[in-house]
Amino acid sequence: MDTIKAFIRKSRAKSPWLLHFDCGSCNGCDIEVLACLTPVYDIERFGIINVGNPKHADLLLVTGTVNHRNKKVLANLAEQMPDPKIVVALGSCGLTGGIFREAYNVIGGVDKIIPVDVYVPGCPPKPEAIIDGVVTGLEKFAEKKGDKS
Amino acid sequence: MLNTLLFILILGPFIAAALCYFVRISHIRSFIVLAMGCLLAVTSILLFTKAPFSHTPPPLLNIPIHWWIIWGDDGLLLTMLYYGFKHRHLFTKILIIFQIVALDYFELFMVDHSKTFPLFFADNLSLIMVLIISIVGPLICVFAIPYMNKHEEHQGLKKSRQPKFFAFLVMIIGAMNGLVLSNNIIFMYVFFEVTTLGSFMLISHDRTETALKNAVRALWMNCLAGAAFIVAMILAYITQGTVDAQELIRGGHMGGIMLTPLALLCFAGMVKAAQIPFQSWLLGAMVAPTPTSALLHSSTMVKAGAYIALRFAPGYAGTFLSQSLAVCGAFTFLATSAMAVSQSNGKKVLAYSTIGNLGLIFACAGINTPEAITAGILLIIFHAFSKALLFLCVGDIEQHIGSRDIEVMRGLYAKMPRTTLIAILGMVTMMLPPFGVLLSKWMALEAASKHLFVMVLLAVGSALMVMYWARWAGILLSAPYGSHVEPERQGVLTRLPLLALVGGAVVLSLCAPLLYSNLVAPILSAPSFSVRAGIFENPTGAFLLYPVILVLALGFIYAVYAAKKAQKARTSGPYLCGAQTTDPESFEGPMRKPVAVSSGAYYFESIFGEQRLTVWFNVCGGMLVALLIGGAL
Amino acid sequence: MIRGVILVIIGAVAAPLLGGLIAGVDRRLTAWLQSRYGPPIWQPFFDVIKLFGKERLVVNGWQVFCAHVYITATMLSVVLFFLQSDLLLILFVQAFGAIFLVIGAFSTTSPYSQVGANRELIQILTYEPLIVLVFVGIYLVTGSFKISEILAQTKPLLVSLPLLYIVLCYALTIKLRKSPFDFSTSHHAHQELVKGFLTEYSGRYLALVEIGHWYEVVLILGLCSLFWATSWIGVLVLVGVTYLCEILIDNIMARMTWQWMLGYVWTMGLAMSFVNLIWLHGR
Ligand code: SF4
Repeated sequence: MDTIKAFIRKSRAKSPWLLHFDCGSCNGCDIEVLACLTPVYDIERFGIINVGNPKHADLLLVTGTVNHRNKKVLANLAEQMPDPKIVVALGSCGLTGGIFREAYNVIGGVDKIIPVDVYVPGCPPKPEAIIDGVVTGLEKFAEKKGDKS
Repeated sequence: MLNTLLFILILGPFIAAALCYFVRISHIRSFIVLAMGCLLAVTSILLFTKAPFSHTPPPLLNIPIHWWIIWGDDGLLLTMLYYGFKHRHLFTKILIIFQIVALDYFELFMVDHSKTFPLFFADNLSLIMVLIISIVGPLICVFAIPYMNKHEEHQGLKKSRQPKFFAFLVMIIGAMNGLVLSNNIIFMYVFFEVTTLGSFMLISHDRTETALKNAVRALWMNCLAGAAFIVAMILAYITQGTVDAQELIRGGHMGGIMLTPLALLCFAGMVKAAQIPFQSWLLGAMVAPTPTSALLHSSTMVKAGAYIALRFAPGYAGTFLSQSLAVCGAFTFLATSAMAVSQSNGKKVLAYSTIGNLGLIFACAGINTPEAITAGILLIIFHAFSKALLFLCVGDIEQHIGSRDIEVMRGLYAKMPRTTLIAILGMVTMMLPPFGVLLSKWMALEAASKHLFVMVLLAVGSALMVMYWARWAGILLSAPYGSHVEPERQGVLTRLPLLALVGGAVVLSLCAPLLYSNLVAPILSAPSFSVRAGIFENPTGAFLLYPVILVLALGFIYAVYAAKKAQKARTSGPYLCGAQTTDPESFEGPMRKPVAVSSGAYYFESIFGEQRLTVWFNVCGGMLVALLIGGAL
Repeated sequence: MIRGVILVIIGAVAAPLLGGLIAGVDRRLTAWLQSRYGPPIWQPFFDVIKLFGKERLVVNGWQVFCAHVYITATMLSVVLFFLQSDLLLILFVQAFGAIFLVIGAFSTTSPYSQVGANRELIQILTYEPLIVLVFVGIYLVTGSFKISEILAQTKPLLVSLPLLYIVLCYALTIKLRKSPFDFSTSHHAHQELVKGFLTEYSGRYLALVEIGHWYEVVLILGLCSLFWATSWIGVLVLVGVTYLCEILIDNIMARMTWQWMLGYVWTMGLAMSFVNLIWLHGR
C-alpha cells in the first residue's frame, strides 16, 4: 500500500497539469507564462501540460488582480478542480493587486478569494521564476492529501 | 389437433376482431384482446411441436376451403374498391379492378381445383414467423389498450373509434399467420391483401387530412404489390401448372421463364417492405397511433415482404435476379441509414431504420448463400423484438412529453428513467455486439464479402446506422447533473409489454446459438456455421458470442458497481468557463443574468437531408428495381 | 490452452504497457520535431498514475459507467486480436467501447462535451466503413476474416493491398487523434473545444479512458502489422515507419473541419479501396 502511495506521490510530482487563468492581468504575466511553453523553456520536460479545463488540472496558475466581476469565476474554477490541487499566484498583481490595488473595482490578490500555495513575485516574473515557482509547488502538490478512498 | 391449431392461429384473430368490433364495451374488448393474445402465444408454441408439416384442412362447414378464399377475396377487393371510390383515387381503382378481374378469371377459368396438394405447409421459417407474429403482435395489442384510451382522451372524441381500431389490429395478426402458413399462393395472396386493407384502415384511423392522404398512398402502393402478385401467380401457373409454393420453388431452376414470376413476387415483397423507392407509404404510416406503427414495422406487414423474399430464395438462387435483389436491398440499407441520420423526428428515425433493416434482409435473400439466409432469418427475429420495443417506448414517451422530437427528448432520463433505460437498451440491442441484430449483421457482412458492391453499401450503411442510434441514446441521457431521479409511474398493461419485449430482445440474443442450431440450421441447404460453446464458426470467420458476452457482462456489472460507488463522490456541474451560477445548467451572462446552457446534436441536414436525398435515392432505387424486373424478363 | 492463456495475458496486460510506451515515444519525438527537449518516455504512465490518485469528481454516474464499459470493450478487442480471432468481430467490439464513450460524453449537458461527442461520432462514421473495406481486401487475399489465416500467409499482404494499407493509415490517423483529424479531442491541450468530448471525464475515469486509448492504439497498430506479418523485422519496420509518418503528419498539419474530413477521407478512402479491390477481383 505504501509503495503505491509513494508511487502516486512521485507521479504527481512528475505530472502536474496546469490551468492558466488570466484573472485581471495586463497580459504581461500571461506572455511570460506562454513563453514557458516555447522550445526555449519547454516546461513539458517536467511533464507539465497546459490544459484548458479545471477538471483535468492539478495546478491553477493565476495572473493578475481579482476584481468584483471575476472573483466568482476564480472561485468556480478552483471548485471544479479535483483534489489534490495547488494554486500559484503570479506577478505583483496576483500577489497583492499590484499597481491596480487602489482601483475602485479591485479586491486585491488571489489569496483574498482562494488559498494560495506559492507566490511568484515580479512584474512580470521571468519565465525562470515562473518555472521555479511551479516546481516549488510540485513538492507541496506531491505531499497533499487527495482522495481519501 | 393440427386443424384446431391452424384454426386458432389464422381464424381466431378474425373472430376476435369481429367480437372487438361488435361488442362495444371497453372492458370486454380489453379482455378479448388479452385472452386472444395469450391463446395465440400458447397455440403458436404448440404448433411448434408439430413441425414441420404439410396439411390440408377439411372443408369448413362442408364448403371446400378454396371457395371461402375466393369469396373472401372478392369481398375484400370490393371493400378496397369502395375506399378507392370514396377517396377518389383513380390509380387505386384501376389497380383493384384489374385485380378483381384477373383474380376471378384465374380462379374460375384457369386453376384446376381438382389437383390436390397441401394447402398449408410449415417448415421452421414459417414457424419462426408464426412465433414472432403471435408473440410480439399480441404484446403490441396489449400495449394498445391503455395507449388508445389515453389517445382518445387526448383527442376528445365523443364516440370511441376503438372497436374498429382493435378489430383491424387483431385481424392483421391472423392474416399474417395465414400468409406465412399457406402453401397455396392464392391463399398467400389473399392474406397479403388482408394486410393491405388492415394497414389502410389503421393508418387512416385518426381521420385527419394527412392520415387519409397517407392511408390512400399506402393503399395504392400495396395494391401495386397485390397486382404484381397476381400477375406472378398467373405467369407461374402458365409455366408450371401449379399454385403450390413448394413446387414453384423447386421449379425455379427451370431457368429464365420461371424467373419472371419470382421477380414479380420479390417486387411485391419489396413494395410491402417499403423498399426504396416505395418507402413513402411506410413513412406516411407514422401518422397513425403508435401501436399501429409498432405492429406494421416489427412483426407484421413489412415482414410479410421479407418473408416472401426469403421463402422463395431457393427458387432464384444463383440467378441475376438474386444478385440484383442483393444490390437493391443493400442500396436501401445505405440510403435509409443516410436519411435517418438527418432526422430529429424519433418515429421517422425508427421508420428509416426499419426499412434499412428490411433492406438488409432483402440483401441477405439476394446473396442467397446459407450464411446469408441464416443472417436474414435471425435478423427477422431480433429486429422484430427490438423494433417493437422501440416503437412502444417512443409511443409512451410521446404521450408523456407530447413530442416525438429527439431534441425534445433531451435529458429524458431525468423525467422517465424507466422508459428511457428500456429504450436505450433497445437501441443498444439494435446496434452493438453481442446482441442479435449485430450478430446477424456480422453474418450478413461475411456473406456479402464476395459481392464487392453490396459490401461497400453495407459497410457505409452500418456506420451511418450506428451514428444515429448512438446519438439518440446519448441525447436521452443528457440530463442535468445531480438532480434526483424519481421513477415514473406506469400502468401494468404499459409496462408488461415493454418488459416482455426488452426481455425477449436480450434473452433471445443470449440464445442465438440455440436458435440457430434448432431453428435455422434444419432449413438450410448446407449448414452455414458450426456452433460450439456459443462460438459461431466457419472457414470465413468466427463470432465468439459467449466469450464476448461473458467479458462484456462482467465489465458491465463492474461498471454499474463503480457508478453506484461514485454516487458518494463530490459532484460538480459541467465546465462552463468558470461562469456557472448556482443553477448548474446556466452561466452568468450580461448584466449578471443567468443564461441557460443549450446545445443541439448535429443532424447534417446539408449532407443527408431528407428533402435533398429522397429524389435521388428514388431515382436510383427505381432504376435498380427496373433492373431487377427487366433482368428477369 | 496454455498458449491461449498467455496470449490473453499479453493482450490484457502487455498491450496497455506497450501503448503507454508508444505514447511516451510519440511525445518525445514530437518534442524533438519542435526542437524541444520533451518529457521522459515514461510520462504517460506518470500521468495515468497521478490521475488514479486524484479525488473522484463526477458530473453524473453515467460517465463513470461509460468509462468502465469503454475500457472493458477495448481490452476485450485487443485480447481478441491476440487470440487471432475474427477481424469484423474485433471491430464491432471496439465500436462497442467507442460508442459508450460517446454516450458518456453526451450524458452531460456541457456544451464542450456535447459538441465533442457529435464530432467523435463523425469520426467513427468516417473510419468504420474504411476499416471494413480493408478487411474485405484482406478477405479477398486470404479467403477468411480470421487473423490466424492471415498469419498463415507466406507473402506479405502489403504486396497485394498497398492502397488499402494507406486507407488503413487514414483510419489510424483518426483513431490516434492526430492532426488534421483531431477535432473531437486532441492530445495537445487548449483547443477550441477545451478537451472536446473528454472535457467532463476527470481523475481516475480519465485515466481509464487514457488506458483504453492505449489499447486502441495497440489494436490499430496491430492491424497495420498484419500487412507484413511474415517476418518480425517486417512488422517492426512497417509499424515503425507508419508511426513516424503519423507523427510527422501530426506536426505539419493544421486541424481541419469535419466536413472536410468526411468528404476527403471518404472520397480518397473509397476510391483507393475500390481500385485495390477491383484489382484483386480481376486477378
Ligand atoms: S504583475 Fe505586472 S505584468 Fe503581471 S499583470 Fe500585474 S502589471 Fe501586468
